[in-house]
Amino acid sequence: MPKIEVIEKNFYGYTGKSYSHQDLVEVLTAAKAELDDVDPETGNLKIELNDTNRPDLWSTTGLGRQLRIYEGGAIPSYGFFSSAGKTLDAADRVVKVDPALKDIRPYITAFAVTGKTIDEAMLKDLIQTQEKLCWNYGRKRRSIAMGVYRSDLIEYPVQYRAADPDATKFQPLGMEDVLSLREINEKHPKGQEYGPIVADFNKFPFLTDNRGDVLSYPPVINSARIGAVEVGDENLFIEMTGTDLPSLTLAASIVACDLADAGHTVLPVRVVYPYDTPLGREVTTPYYFQDPAEADLSYINKMLGEVLSSDEIVKALARMGCEARVDGEKVVLRVPEYRNDFLHAADVVEDVAIGRGLETFTPQLPQDYTVGRLSEEEEFGRRVRNIMVGLGFQEMMYNYLGSSRDYIEKMNLSPEGFIQVANPMSENYEFVRASILPALLGSEAISGNAVYPHHIFEVGKVAFLDDSEVTGTTTRNYLGFLSADSEAGFNLVNSQISALLFYVSREYQVKELSDPRFIPGRAAEILVEGRRIGVFGEIHPLVLDNWGIGMPVTAGEVDLDLLLKG
Amino acid sequence: MDIDVKSLHPLEIKMLRGVSSGEELTPAGMMERLSFKLGQCNQAFSWLSAKGLITETSRTVRTVFEITDFGRNQEQEGTAEERIIGFLKEKGAAKMPEIAAALGLENKDVGSAFGQMSKEGLLEMDGDKNVSVKSADPSDRMKTVRALLARGVKGEILEESALSDAEQAAMGGISKKRGAAASCFKTAEREDVVYTLTPAGAEVKKFLEAQGVTGEEIGALTPEMISSGAWKGKALREYNINAPASRVLLGRRNPYAEFLQWGKDKLCSLGFEEFDGPLVETEFWNGDALFMPQFHSARDIHDVYYVKNPSHAKEIEQPWLDNVAAAHENGGDTGSRGWGYQFDRDFTRRLILRSQGTVLSAKQLPQAKVPGKYFGIARCFRYDQVDATHGADFYQTEGIMLGEDVNLKTLLGLLKMFAEEVAGAEEVRYVPGYFPFTEPSIEVHIKHPVLGWFELGGSGIFRPEVTRSMGVDVPVLAWGLGIDRMALMHLGLNDLRDLFSQDIESVRLRRRN
Repeated sequence: MPKIEVIEKNFYGYTGKSYSHQDLVEVLTAAKAELDDVDPETGNLKIELNDTNRPDLWSTTGLGRQLRIYEGGAIPSYGFFSSAGKTLDAADRVVKVDPALKDIRPYITAFAVTGKTIDEAMLKDLIQTQEKLCWNYGRKRRSIAMGVYRSDLIEYPVQYRAADPDATKFQPLGMEDVLSLREINEKHPKGQEYGPIVADFNKFPFLTDNRGDVLSYPPVINSARIGAVEVGDENLFIEMTGTDLPSLTLAASIVACDLADAGHTVLPVRVVYPYDTPLGREVTTPYYFQDPAEADLSYINKMLGEVLSSDEIVKALARMGCEARVDGEKVVLRVPEYRNDFLHAADVVEDVAIGRGLETFTPQLPQDYTVGRLSEEEEFGRRVRNIMVGLGFQEMMYNYLGSSRDYIEKMNLSPEGFIQVANPMSENYEFVRASILPALLGSEAISGNAVYPHHIFEVGKVAFLDDSEVTGTTTRNYLGFLSADSEAGFNLVNSQISALLFYVSREYQVKELSDPRFIPGRAAEILVEGRRIGVFGEIHPLVLDNWGIGMPVTAGEVDLDLLLKG
Repeated sequence: MDIDVKSLHPLEIKMLRGVSSGEELTPAGMMERLSFKLGQCNQAFSWLSAKGLITETSRTVRTVFEITDFGRNQEQEGTAEERIIGFLKEKGAAKMPEIAAALGLENKDVGSAFGQMSKEGLLEMDGDKNVSVKSADPSDRMKTVRALLARGVKGEILEESALSDAEQAAMGGISKKRGAAASCFKTAEREDVVYTLTPAGAEVKKFLEAQGVTGEEIGALTPEMISSGAWKGKALREYNINAPASRVLLGRRNPYAEFLQWGKDKLCSLGFEEFDGPLVETEFWNGDALFMPQFHSARDIHDVYYVKNPSHAKEIEQPWLDNVAAAHENGGDTGSRGWGYQFDRDFTRRLILRSQGTVLSAKQLPQAKVPGKYFGIARCFRYDQVDATHGADFYQTEGIMLGEDVNLKTLLGLLKMFAEEVAGAEEVRYVPGYFPFTEPSIEVHIKHPVLGWFELGGSGIFRPEVTRSMGVDVPVLAWGLGIDRMALMHLGLNDLRDLFSQDIESVRLRRRN
C-alpha cells in the first residue's frame, strides 16, 4: 500500500484545520489511512494509504481534501473539465498523436497549468504524486507514465510520435551527453528500469513540440531542458501516456484537481487521435467521463442492517465528496472528478457507512443457526497425533518449501515428481516438499546435543506431480516420523508402525521395499487392502552421511488420506 | 542443625554411629569394623568430609609395587638372566647376538644382563666375545627377584617400606613408574588419610542416636521385600524430597500445533465448519474469482510463487470461468460495470502456490450451505524476504458466513464475537478497511488485558461480482484473523521463524505462557 510523506503545516492548510496526532489518527480512518510515523528531524508525517482504488488520496492535497469534506467542508467544483456534452476551448494547446502508436502506447492526456509559481512544497508533492500514481496505480509506469514540463519552452501542437530508437537522440535529464533512445535504455538508470516496457517494439514513444524540441521519451525520461521543471516556474505542461484510457484520464483529473486546490489555474489541452478511442477521436482533457453511481435504497438498508432516512444517506455521501439525491426508490450520486471506484451499488453502501460513521452502527450477533464441525482429515489427524505422542514422540512443525539439496540430493533421490517453483526467492525455497523425511533428518542433523533418544514426528501436507489431476499436482496429508538412538533398528520402527495401525484399527501387510533412502533388506512398504499407504525402515548410512548425522536412524511415512479411506 | 539428616546416605549414617569422637579413622579400620568395601569407605569419607562432619588429621604417601603382565610372564617363562644361563649351560659358549636371536631378546638387554651377571661372577667372556657360564648358582640378587616375582604373582601388593634394603635394591632394577609395560613391576603412590570426627559430626551422631536412625533403614523397596515381608519390623528411610528431580523425556504435542488446534475447536464451537484444499491452485480461484483484476499490483510475479512445470491447469470448471470472465469484463449478471478490460483466459489457468486463505472461500461458494459458516486454517505461500515477521510459508485463518442476516451490523457483531471469544479482548475498535474482494470492509483492532492494542483481523461483505458469479444470491461475509501473531504472543516468541524451528531441544522445552 502506498506511503506518502506530508509536510504537516501544508497538510492542515488543505484539511482546513489543525489536528493533534491522536485526533489525526482517528480522522484518517475515514480515508482508510494510517499515521505510520513522524520524521524526528523534519516533523513530516508518514502516512500509509490502504485503499488501492482511491489514488486521489495519495497526495497531500488529495488526502487533505477528503478529510476537509468529511469534517463538513464544501464539495469543490472544478471549471476546467470537458465532458461528453461540453468541450472547453483549448485554444492552441493541442497534442497530435502518431498512428503508429496505436499498438505501442496509444493514449495520452494532457493539460496546462498557470497563475501561481511552483513552490518547493508543491514541487515535492508533484514528484511524490507522480511516483505513487505511476508506480502503484500505473503498474510501474506500464499503464500510466507522467511528465511535467516548462510550457514557456513549448510551441504547440505537441507531437506524440513513434520514433526510431536508434536515429532519435536527445539529452535526457540527469545526463550530460546526447543519447539515442536505445542507448538511454542501456545507460540511463530510468532507461534500465522502465525501458523494457517499450523495448520490444520497433519504434519507441517520443514527445516533442512543433519545432521538434524534445519534451521526453515516455515512459522513461524527460529532456534536460524542457523537461527540467524547477521551483519558481509558473507555466507548466503536464501529460500522461499509457495503455488504459480510463485510468489515464482519471490520473490526469487527480493531478489537475490537486493543482487547482493548491491555487493554480488549469487550462485544457485537446488531444487529436488518428484512430478510435473509447472517448472518441478528439478528447479535451481534463475530461470528466464518470457516469453517475446509483443504489436502491432497499439495497443500502439491507446491506447496512438498518433503515436510513433519505436525508441521512445524502448527508453521509456528501461527507465522502459525492453530491447525491434521492430519486424514487434509489439514490443517485455524482461521482467526484478525481474518483472512479464505483463499480457496483456495494461501493455506494460502503461510502454511506463511512460517511455516517462506523461508530453509529451497533454490532449485532449473527442469528442464523449453523452446526460447527472439523473436517474428517483433521479428526483423523488428531487421532494419529495422539497415538504418536503416546509412543513417546515429540511433535514438530516444519516449512513446506525447501532446497533441491535437502529434498532430493541428500536423500539420494531423482528430481522426478517434485513441484518446482518458477520464481523462487532463493534456492532454499525452490521446491515444495513431497515428503516429511528431509525435514525430520534436518532436525536430527542439528540436534546432536539434545539428550537421546530422539523421537520426532509431524502430521502435515506434502504435494507432488500427478498428471491425473486438473492442476497436474496432488496434495496429501502425511504422517512422517523418525527415531534416532544408538539402539535404533528395524525392530523399533516395526513396533511403532504395528502399534499405530492397531490403534487406528487397520489391518495391513508389509512387502519388501527397494528405496534408495533405506538400507536394502531393512525397509518395508505398508499395504492396506492391497494398496501401498506408507513406508518404513532403517535409513541408509549414505543418507545419514549426507546429512552429517552420526546416530542410527529409523523412519517412516504414511499417507493418512489413504489410511483414512481404509 | 545445619545438616539435613535426610540427605545422609546409609553409609554415612553407619560410619557416624560406628565411630567415637577423638578416634582415628582409617579405611582399613572402617572396613574391618563396619564390613565396608574399600570403595564404600572412601565414598563415605568423601561425603562426610565435604559436609564438614569429619576432618583430615594426617595424610601420608607411600610407594607400592604391582606386578605387571610382563612380570607374570617373566615369572613363568624365566627372567632374561635365568634363560641366558640356561641357554649357555646347554650350548656351551655363544656370542651375544646369537644369544639375543635364540632367546628373542634385544641385544641391549643381553648386554646389560651380561654386565650385571659378570660382575656377580656368573658369566665370563673370552677374547673372541664368546660368553660362557662361570658359575650357575643364581646370585642373591637373582634369588631376591625370584622371590619378589613369586609374591607379586600371588596377588600381593608390595609395600616399599616393608621391603628390606636388598629387596628394595633388586626392585629398583625391575620396576618403573611410567611406561611399565616392559618392566616386571609398576611403581605407584598411595595416600593414606586419617580422619576424625568434627564437633559438627559429633552433634549429628548424637542426633542420629537420639532419633534411633541406624542406617539399616530400607532404601528402595523391592518386589522380593514386599512378597517376603522382609520390610516388616524395619524402618523405611526418609528421603530428601527437595532434591531436584531428574529430567524425563516424553512424547508431546507441539505447542504451536496445539494452539492452532484450540483455534479450530473454538471456531467449531461458534458454528463454523472446517474446509481446506490443495497447496497448488490456479490464478482463477486464488485471484480472478475474487474479482481481483488481473492487472492488480498484488497479482504481479513479485507476490505469488508460480509452478514451473506444469505451468497451467488443464481447464477451469464451467460455468464459473465464463461467469467470472464476464464479471471482470463488463460486470456480467452481477449488477456491476466490471473492470472493463479483456479477461485473459490463459493467465487464469496459471498454476501457483496458494497465497491467501480466501481461495478456499472462493472454492466453497458454489457448494456452500445457506445459512452457512465456514473456516479454514490454511498454509499459504508468498514471495517475500524471509525474516522475523515474514515466512516463506505461513498459516492464514479465514472463513465465510452466508445468510440473509449478513449485513454491516452482523459483520461488526461477528468481529466482536471473535475478539472476545478467540482473542480475549477487553475493548474493540472498528476501522474502515480495504480488501479487493469485499465492500464494505472493516478492520478490527482489540485491546488485550496484557498485550495492549493490536490489529486482530478484518472482515467484509463479498462483492456481488464474487458471489453472484458463483451462483450465490445471499450476502456473504468473508473474514480473516491473524492467528500466527496470537500464537507468537501465547508462546512468548518474537520471531515467526521460531514457530517452525527444527531444533528438537528448543521445541521440547517450548510451552504456553
